[in-house]
Amino acid sequence: MSYVAIKGGGHAIAGAAAVTEYLRTEEGLGNPAAEPLAIDAILHQLRHLVDRVVSEGGVYHPQFAALAIKQSLGDTLEAAFALRAWRSTRPRLSATPPLDTSRMRLIRRISSAFKDIPGGQMLGPTPDYALRLLRLELMDESPDAFRAVARNWLEKCPEAQLPDTFPKVLDALRAEGLLPPVTATRGQTAFDITREPLVFPVPRSAQLATMARAETGSLLAIAYSNMRGYGDVHPTVAELRVGYLPVMLPHPVTGELVEAGEVLITECEVVAMYDVQDAQVPRAQRCAGAAEADETGGKPVFTLGYGACFGHNEVKAISMAILDRALQKGMKDGASNPSEDPEFVLLHVDGVDSMGFASHYKMPHYVTFQSDLDRLRTTQQKSGEPA
Amino acid sequence: MNLERKDWIRALTAHPATVLNALADELTVGCDVKLKSLPQAGLGLLTLTDGAFHEPYYLGEFPLSMCSIELSLSDGRQAAGGAQVMADDAELARSLAILDAVLAARFPGWEQVSAHIESGASRRAEEDRRRRAMLTATRVDFAMLNNAEVDDDEC
Repeated sequence: MSYVAIKGGGHAIAGAAAVTEYLRTEEGLGNPAAEPLAIDAILHQLRHLVDRVVSEGGVYHPQFAALAIKQSLGDTLEAAFALRAWRSTRPRLSATPPLDTSRMRLIRRISSAFKDIPGGQMLGPTPDYALRLLRLELMDESPDAFRAVARNWLEKCPEAQLPDTFPKVLDALRAEGLLPPVTATRGQTAFDITREPLVFPVPRSAQLATMARAETGSLLAIAYSNMRGYGDVHPTVAELRVGYLPVMLPHPVTGELVEAGEVLITECEVVAMYDVQDAQVPRAQRCAGAAEADETGGKPVFTLGYGACFGHNEVKAISMAILDRALQKGMKDGASNPSEDPEFVLLHVDGVDSMGFASHYKMPHYVTFQSDLDRLRTTQQKSGEPA
Repeated sequence: MNLERKDWIRALTAHPATVLNALADELTVGCDVKLKSLPQAGLGLLTLTDGAFHEPYYLGEFPLSMCSIELSLSDGRQAAGGAQVMADDAELARSLAILDAVLAARFPGWEQVSAHIESGASRRAEEDRRRRAMLTATRVDFAMLNNAEVDDDEC
């Protein structure tokens, strides 16, 4: 494929930007009540949209995600692109030590594996059990009614008698010996997908990082192929939790870990059909392509999948967990379907990459297409000539 | 105020940055502020331990500002302070580092910093209470259909 530089179109390009801006503000024509979308309004009333953009942008900056949503007129791919562009201008100052999600300040915690889990299940904010009916009363919601909802909820909300943190469901299963052992990871460094290219095979940390900032729909589509039958398993959500994770960094003077802020994250752990473990071969090595796991008579245990992402995005976290499990299987036994192939999955789930490629088709291809035309005409001419 | 130094940032950042910057400016009048490391705004990388195999991986990045300072009073006393805060605001990091030093060394004005930490901690506690209320209000007790004698919605 080749590209050629073109010139011209400067006025039209500036005009296109102005027209887009006109559409964003058109509501204000002759309408004194029209107001621009406030960043706070986007942050609060379109929170799942913001969550999606921070997750796919790969940077937990809800304010800038809201701004990106505003300037892109709600296009999540463009918004994530703008957030990534912003991050590329910022220096990397530090990295946290590995943070433990058991310290999350939860707002939701469920398990579809057990009805009784230590600490209990709390639905939190979810539409899971709601009827998907249009709430027509919101078509003309008054500011007074809007303000009263939260106030009334707070007045009626029960006094909280809950601990600050909750144990993980997987810990209980692991204590019973039903899960594969935890890998010793002291000193193990994670793969930084923002600094290093994916050269396959890649370690699991690269797979998790890539999926964590993947485009939700892309991840769901490939995970759905696995769910529908290509994967031949039905994983169970051991635990799905949503909450605020304290971001800990060392104090510059004392060195003690200090809470520098918090991020809202969604985390999902799935368990699925059991596998026979090979106690002699470390998991990391098995993931590098070895397929000898079930020939050594190891104890059968459940297989596991893990997903997590910035923001409240349960479909993405579940999809990631399903694909993590599928990719582990693919690395161990060889991919039997696309969702188990790391190269297929990881190279096709990034929203900015894929939208960029799709969008490039809109750019001028005049020279390359002219070449196609010439070849076709020549071929037609030759095929019409007598042999 | 009985919060440990490691909890000061969370409490202080419950206040707007403008309030903290103004307080830091006020408390450094007549002080010499020496920057041990320049106030910087950039990104931090969030390392997470995965919940399945406890392997570290990078979940993504977050805005991060940091600064280290040394305060000197006219009587020769010195105090070191520092801050790393999840914000794209180098000035805020500088202000937090100053407030950290003032309170740690009980420099003049430390009572104001302490009061801000207390009021900030109260705001954070209220935030935590609301989050816990979301859990309490939605605690669910699923029962098997054949064991369910009384539906909790009918109580």
